[in-house]
Amino acid sequence: MALNRYQIIRQIRRKPLSVLGSVAALLIIYFLFFTSHGSDSKLSKNRPTYNYNKVNKGWFGSSADDMFLKSMPKKHINRYDLNKLTTSADALKNREEILILTPLSKFLPEYWENLNKLTYDHNLIELGFIIPRSEYGDAALPKLEAAIKKTQASTNKFKKITILRQDSESLKSQTEKERHALAVQKERRSMMALARNSLLFTVLSPSTSWVLWLDSDIVETAPTLLQDMIAHNKPLLSANVFQRFYNEETKENDIRPYDYNNWIESDDGLKLASTLKDDEIIVEGYAEMATYRPLMAKFYDPNAASNVEMALDGVGGGALLVKADVHRDGAMFPSFPFYHLIETEGFAKMAKRLGYEVFGLPNYLVYHYNE
Amino acid sequence: MAFAMVEHKSKILYTAFVLFILGLVKVVFQLTGGENLYAPDFSNLKEVEFYDLENSRGSADGWRRDERILFCVPLRDASAHLPMFFGHMKNLTYPHNLIDLAFLVSDSSDDTLGELVKHLTQIQNDPDPKMHFGTIEIFEKDFGQAIGQGFSDRHGFAAQGPRRKLMARARNWLWTVAIKPYHSYVYWRDADVETSPQTILEDLMHHDKDIIVPNVWRPLPDWLGNQQPYDLNSWQESDGGLQLADTLDEDACIVEGYVEYQTWRPHLAYLRDPYGDPEVEMELDGIGGVSILTKAKVFRTGAHFPAFSFEKHAETEAFGKLAKRMGYSVVGLPHYVIWHIYEPSSDDLKHMEWMALEEVRQQEEAKIKKVYDRVWGKAFEDVHNNWNKEREDFLKNTDMANFKSIKVDWSGVDDWNLENGNDKQLADFNP
Repeated sequence: MALNRYQIIRQIRRKPLSVLGSVAALLIIYFLFFTSHGSDSKLSKNRPTYNYNKVNKGWFGSSADDMFLKSMPKKHINRYDLNKLTTSADALKNREEILILTPLSKFLPEYWENLNKLTYDHNLIELGFIIPRSEYGDAALPKLEAAIKKTQASTNKFKKITILRQDSESLKSQTEKERHALAVQKERRSMMALARNSLLFTVLSPSTSWVLWLDSDIVETAPTLLQDMIAHNKPLLSANVFQRFYNEETKENDIRPYDYNNWIESDDGLKLASTLKDDEIIVEGYAEMATYRPLMAKFYDPNAASNVEMALDGVGGGALLVKADVHRDGAMFPSFPFYHLIETEGFAKMAKRLGYEVFGLPNYLVYHYNE
Repeated sequence: MAFAMVEHKSKILYTAFVLFILGLVKVVFQLTGGENLYAPDFSNLKEVEFYDLENSRGSADGWRRDERILFCVPLRDASAHLPMFFGHMKNLTYPHNLIDLAFLVSDSSDDTLGELVKHLTQIQNDPDPKMHFGTIEIFEKDFGQAIGQGFSDRHGFAAQGPRRKLMARARNWLWTVAIKPYHSYVYWRDADVETSPQTILEDLMHHDKDIIVPNVWRPLPDWLGNQQPYDLNSWQESDGGLQLADTLDEDACIVEGYVEYQTWRPHLAYLRDPYGDPEVEMELDGIGGVSILTKAKVFRTGAHFPAFSFEKHAETEAFGKLAKRMGYSVVGLPHYVIWHIYEPSSDDLKHMEWMALEEVRQQEEAKIKKVYDRVWGKAFEDVHNNWNKEREDFLKNTDMANFKSIKVDWSGVDDWNLENGNDKQLADFNP
């Protein structure tokens, strides 16, 4: 007997793992066969109990966001009277704040320069950028960072700047040719709509009166762009986007229309829409989909006054001024076919459904970068 | 001594080796597994902020990951409900510092705002720091009230379309200004919820759905059957509903629970089994707004409460439909119930008035009966029982056997004849 026990101890000393193994096996069997039933019935009969221990984020945790959140005031109760918020033609006199929003997949120095030249009081301008979660976004971000640091150190600094990185994977290819292929249009514009919404709704503040959507490749506008557009006092107002180019035929610098998303609905367009399935969209500028919609780009008259307005049904996002109230009422950029329209064109439709009117300025030009 | 030194040295070497391996693993991890994206540094510029939205996607156990919830409460003439509401708020088990509160006070004729600030100040100055909530924002915006706020005003059929669109606007004005890039979840809660579990946020969150709602019932007075489904806006779309939608014009707005619109949809509320598993989920298309937990990305990417007729619906029901169109999951918990307060309808009020009058009448009647009984009792004293007793005492010692029965001879009594005597004549009576 004694010898026997001695043998067992010697066995354990010689091969400690064998004991550990058998104990582990017993434990596994116990958990497999005896606890599962019990925990199941406990889950269904009682409320689940929760573990409140913090999950360790490990070596990669604690980002810059955490730092900001930790420094947040604790006992603050902020009150905002939105009844006192105005949107008027004389915005500068009423000290109305403007939010300029730009989805940015590449950083053009010309864009930033143009932005800095805007004559509206920069203390009343907030900027918002969203960059795609891609190598393009990652390449643009340091350039944007450097530009912001330079501007904010000057006397011409903006009130507030927010930069977001999109959460989802963005489309990979961004070259001009691929970007405009019809097949990828729907997906691309759907992603774009998601980016625009994510930017808009997280950055829109209680003090914002106007929102200007300005694409990152708009490189030339009048310095009085904001005052000029606000003076019309319209819920939605789109400028005409053109592009400067060297005309090989006339051998001189020339301009040509760029954005075809500003249009008036046509009977052909409605007829076409009625033949489509729920999840199909209409986009302008494709021969496969002839809508014969009157396009604002074609209404440009160099000899007419620049403040001529025209009522529109679809808008582009090149340079689009929106009263913040329109967005607060819920008008957003549909990422799905809304009346067969998507993104900015769907946005115009949604604003109309909410009872707002949509206008364009055919003779007021802003210029797109020429790739 | 030398041996000890050698052992010591090997220990140091061993530790150094382990650290080296750990470092190597970290480097390899960063190069392969984790994304290595550029992070700008704006620490010197207080007016510039950078957020990676990836950090606020929302997970099933957000309370363990410091995920912030935006807690949205639309208020209108709600000061009476606020004490109850803050009672619930204090009890929430979700870490309070992770909850940012946003209130919209609109078109209120009572002192909703003053009461709200009073309660908030009280809770933020609680001696227990665990009671304090994150940022608190109160927004005021009046939309103009076309419709009264009585239960029947609000719940009548004709009022539904415009009313729902107006409420949708109010909700949108609240979340569009309140949501920040660092919010992972948005929770909508009405102030007039009477009973709800303390763990409601965790209970809804751990399902890891984009949009999730509990079942909402309300208690009733016993004469109405004790309890009733309250929120009929949570439903699954049906063929009947789709057919009905096709027959309506563009701006029409289907609302549930009214005979005018028969949709035959399965409602979350009616599927409740009081003994059912609270974890059971049900796919929904339209949802109600009493208590909604959504991932913040749902709102961020543009889902909102349509203030126009979207697929023939408005407000929360259309929000469900819109979110579905955007590919988000919309789920309800049929056996997990929170209780809305009971507000009587005008018919109920009439009935209750009748009941109250009836009670007064019965009390009055009882009082009169009491006086009457007393007077009756005094005036008509019943001595029957006393007499029965006295009679017995009376007759106890009397031997009735000694009395002989008296015999009377009544024969010939009727024999006298009027006609026989002349002196006896009847009076001359001839009417």
